[in-house]
Amino acid sequence: MKTTRNILSLALFLILVLLPAFSAGTKEAAQGTVTLKLEQFSGSEATLSGEALRGMIAEFEKQNPTIKVELQTIGYDDYFTQLQSKVVGGNAADVFELNYENFVAYASEGALADVTGKLGDTSGFNKTALDAFNYQGVQYGVPNSFSNVVLFYNKALFDQANLAYPTSDWTWKDVEVASKKIMSLEKNIWGFYRPLSFHEFYKGAAQNGGSLMNAERTAFTVNLPQNIEAASLMAGWQNDSKIMPTDADMAGMGDWDLFKSGRLGMLVTGIWAFGDFTANCPFDWDIAIEPGNVQKATHFFSNSYVVSETSKHPAEAAKLAVFLAGSKEATKLRVEASWELPPVTYPEIIDSYLSITPPENREAVFASLDYLVTPPVSIQQAEMQAIIQSYLGQIVSGKMSAKAALDACQKELEAKISL
Amino acid sequence: MMFRIHVKGFLYHLLAIVLGILAIIPFLWMISTSLKSGGALLVVPIEWFPKEPTIQAYEKLFALTGMLRSIGNSLVVTSGAVLIALFSSSMAAFAFSKIRFKGSGVLFMLFIASMMLPSHVLFIPLYLIMNDLHLVDTLFALILPYTFKAFAVFMLRQQMMNISDAYLDAAAIDGASLFRSFITVFLPLCKTALATLAIIIAMDAWNDYLLPLVLMTSPKNYTLPIILNALSGQFKTAYDLLMAGSLISVVPLLIIYIGAQRYFASGLQIGGVKG
Amino acid sequence: MSIQGRRGIRVALPYLLPSLLGALLFAILPIIISLLLSVTNWSGMSRVRLTDGFLKFVAEHFVGLENSKAILSDGEFWRALSHNLYFIILYLPLMLALSMTAALIINAPNRGANVYRVVYYLPVLTSWVAGSLIWKWLLSPVYGPINNALAIIGIEGPLWLQSEVWAMPSIVLASIWKDMGFYAMILLGGLKSINTEYYEAARIDGASKPQMFARITLPLLSSVLFYVSMLSMINAFQLFPQVMVMTKEGNAGPNGATMVMVERIYKYAFRYGKMGYAAAYSWILFVIIMAFTYIQKRGERRWVNYDV
Repeated sequence: MKTTRNILSLALFLILVLLPAFSAGTKEAAQGTVTLKLEQFSGSEATLSGEALRGMIAEFEKQNPTIKVELQTIGYDDYFTQLQSKVVGGNAADVFELNYENFVAYASEGALADVTGKLGDTSGFNKTALDAFNYQGVQYGVPNSFSNVVLFYNKALFDQANLAYPTSDWTWKDVEVASKKIMSLEKNIWGFYRPLSFHEFYKGAAQNGGSLMNAERTAFTVNLPQNIEAASLMAGWQNDSKIMPTDADMAGMGDWDLFKSGRLGMLVTGIWAFGDFTANCPFDWDIAIEPGNVQKATHFFSNSYVVSETSKHPAEAAKLAVFLAGSKEATKLRVEASWELPPVTYPEIIDSYLSITPPENREAVFASLDYLVTPPVSIQQAEMQAIIQSYLGQIVSGKMSAKAALDACQKELEAKISL
Repeated sequence: MMFRIHVKGFLYHLLAIVLGILAIIPFLWMISTSLKSGGALLVVPIEWFPKEPTIQAYEKLFALTGMLRSIGNSLVVTSGAVLIALFSSSMAAFAFSKIRFKGSGVLFMLFIASMMLPSHVLFIPLYLIMNDLHLVDTLFALILPYTFKAFAVFMLRQQMMNISDAYLDAAAIDGASLFRSFITVFLPLCKTALATLAIIIAMDAWNDYLLPLVLMTSPKNYTLPIILNALSGQFKTAYDLLMAGSLISVVPLLIIYIGAQRYFASGLQIGGVKG
Repeated sequence: MSIQGRRGIRVALPYLLPSLLGALLFAILPIIISLLLSVTNWSGMSRVRLTDGFLKFVAEHFVGLENSKAILSDGEFWRALSHNLYFIILYLPLMLALSMTAALIINAPNRGANVYRVVYYLPVLTSWVAGSLIWKWLLSPVYGPINNALAIIGIEGPLWLQSEVWAMPSIVLASIWKDMGFYAMILLGGLKSINTEYYEAARIDGASKPQMFARITLPLLSSVLFYVSMLSMINAFQLFPQVMVMTKEGNAGPNGATMVMVERIYKYAFRYGKMGYAAAYSWILFVIIMAFTYIQKRGERRWVNYDV
C-alpha cells in the first residue's frame, strides 16, 4: 500500500511540478522596450504583400524605437482555428487581423479591447470601412484594407461580337443581351459568370431593391418579393437563359481560369484579380462598375486590425494598428504592392494607383465605392451564411422554387440566428 | 494438372496485381508529379512520366522557412509518442490480462468507451488543461496524451491473454518478481504486437494535423502536417510542390514499415481465433 | 508465482498508473469538461480559466438540455446522420470484401506475397492531407485519369466530388483505398492463427478451396471479422478528415451532400462559435455509437462462432 501511495504521489509531483518547468518560460523583454505580437492571415510571406507588410513594420519600428514587433502570418484556413484557442486560453496576439465577417462575433464576446480615442485622427478613413468595425457604439478595430468587386470583361470577345463595351449604365438586361451575342460566336464560350452565392445574393438583392435584413438589423427579410425575384433571375442565368456555365460545364475549372482561357465574356469578381489577369490574360480586358437591376449596389469586403483584450500594452498596440492601417508610409507600400485598397485616401498615392494599367478604366474601382452595401452581419455570421448558401443551392439545382426556398430560409434563420 | 496450377497462379496474381495497382498508382503519380515542372502539371492527355524531370520542387520545398525544423519537430513528437505509448499501454495491458483486481472489467470497458467519443470537441478542453500545465506551444503537449492509448491497451491485452500463465509460474520459480517477468518474458513475447503498434502510433503521431494546429501556436513548434496543409492553402495549384511535400511526409513511415516488415508477416492480432 | 501474488488492485495499480494518469488528464478530464460545456451556450470564443471559477462560468452559461433538444429537433442533424449511415452502407461491405481478399492474397504461400504486403499498406501510411490531394486529382472531371479512362470505353464520367450524387461515393472510394491495408493486416492476423491442421484434415476429406474457405476460414475468422466491423463502424461514425480536405469546406460538399456528424461538430465548434452546442452534439454521437456497438455486440452471439 505504501509503495503504491509513494508511486502515486511521485507521479503527481512529476506532472504538477516538473512539467511546467520544462515548458519555455516567457521571454523577458529588454529593459524599456515593449514587444508586440502581430498576427495576420493576409500578406503571406512569399508574396508582394508580405514584402510590403515587412516594410511597414520596419518603418514603424524605426519611428518607435522602444517598440519591437513580432509578426506571424498564418494561412486563412488555419488562422481562425488557432485564433479561437488562443483567445480561449488568453494567449491572443496583441494586435491581430479580423475580417468583417468574424469581427462581430469576437467583439460581442468581449475578446477585443476598446480602441476608441486611441486611434488619433481618423478623419481620413473611409467612413463605411471605419464604421464597419464599430460594434454597439464602441470602436474595436481599424480597417486595414478593403476591397470591392467590379465587372471584368474580355474586350477581344466584345470586338468579335461587334458589341459596345459595358458602361456604368448597364443593367442585368444588357448583360443578358450581350452574353447571348458572345455565345453565338463559338461553342464552349460563355457570356457571364456570377454564381448565386451568399455574397453575390446579398448584393443582387440590393441591386433589385431588396435586402436580407431590415435597416436596424433586428429582423431578417430574406423572403421579400424583390429578393425572390432577384434569386430566380440570378439562378436563371444558369438554368433559363444559360448565359452562365453550370458546374458541369466548368468541369472543375475555376471562374478565373475560364476567364483567362478567353472563353468567358464577363465576370463579376474582386479587384484582387488584377495582378493575376494582368500576368495571365493573353487578350485585352477592362472593367466597369457592376451592372445593377433597379439600382446599383457594389460589394464591401474589409479586413481590420483589432487589439486583444488581454494585451498588456494596449496603447502601443493601438498605435501599431493605426499605423499599419492608415499611415501615409504604410499606405504607399500597400498601393505599390497592389494589396487591395487602402482605407485612407491620400490623393497623390491614389493618382499613382490610377496610372497603372490594365485595367484602363481603373477609376471604376473608386466609382464603385459610391454604391457600397455592407453584407448582413450577425454574431453567428458563418452559420448564417451557411444557411443562406444551402437554400441558394436548392434554387440553383432546381429542387426548390426561389419563393419556397427563401420562405424556408427565412424561417430557419429566424429559428437559429439571434440578431 | 500443371495447367490447372498455372491458371490458379495466374488468377491469384491477376487479382493481387489489380489490387496492388489501385494502391500504388497514386504513389507513382505523386512521384512523377513531384518531378514535373510547372507547365506539365495540368496537361491532357496525362503525362505519366515527366518529359523533363526536375528536382526543382524539392529545392523550393526545402528552401521554405520552417520546413526542416518542422520535420525535426515531427520526428521528436513521433518517437516520443511511440515510446511513451508502448511503455504505458503494455504495462496496463499486463495488468488487465494477468492481474486479477476488482473493477478490472469495468475499467477496461471505460477504456474502450473512450474511443467512441469524437475527439474534436475535446480539443478546446485539452487546450485549457495544457494551458494550465503550461504546456501549450511545447512539443510535450503532443507527446503526453499518448500515455493513454485505448486501442494499444486493447490489442496488447489480447496478445498477453494468449500467453500462458505458465510463463509467470516459471518466472516465479526463478525467484523473479512480477515486474521482472513482465520485462524479461512478456515484452519479448509481444515483440510482434509491439512493433505493429509502433507503426500504427507512429502513423497517428506523424500524420496528426488538427490537434497540433490547436496546441502549437508558434511556427517554431509546427509539425510537418501543419506546414504541408498551409502549403496547400497557399499554393493551391502548385501540385509539384504539394506532391513533393506529401512524398517527404510518407518516406519516414515507409522506411520504418519496411524495416519492421518481418513483424507484420503475421498481421495484427485482434479478437481471438479459437483453434 | 501463485495466483495470490497477482491479485488485487494494489498489485495492479503500479502497472495501470501511467495509463491511468494519462487517461485522467488527457481523456477523462477533457471529457468531463466537454460534458459540462454541453449544457452551456458558450461560444468558444471568450477567455476561460479552468482553475479559476470554471464552475461559476458554467453556471452563468447554463442552458440545461436546450442544446440537445435543439439538435434533435433540427432536420440538419437527421440529414447528417443519414449521410453517415449511407457512408457505412456503401463502405462496410466493400471494405470487408476487399480487405479479406487482400488478406488472403498476402497469406497465400506464394512468391510476391511480401511485395503485396508492402504495397497494400502504402495508402495506410499516407496522411489524409496528401491522400486528399491525390484523390482530388484522380477524380478531377477533366484532368483526372479516372474520367479519362472511362472516356476511352465511351462512358462520360460523373463530376465526382462536385456532384451531389457522386460526392459521397467518391469519399467512400478514397476511404476504402486508405483503409483496406489496415483491416487486411488485422484479418491476416486472424488467418495466421488458424491451426493448419484443420485444412490438412479437410484436404484429406477432399474439400475444395471454396468449401474450405466457407466451412473453416470464415467461421474461425468470425470473431476477428466482428472486431473489424465494430472498429470500422466506430471509425465510420467519426468520418471527418477526408470529408474536410476533399470537399469544399464552406458547403460540406455540393448542396451539403457530404455533411456528416463530425463535420457538423467541427463546424459548430470552430466555425460557427457554438462550442456548447458542439459538445452536446458530440455526446449525442457518442450515444449513437454506443447503441450501434451494443446492437452489434448482441448480434455477435448469433453470427460469431466461438466453438468450432
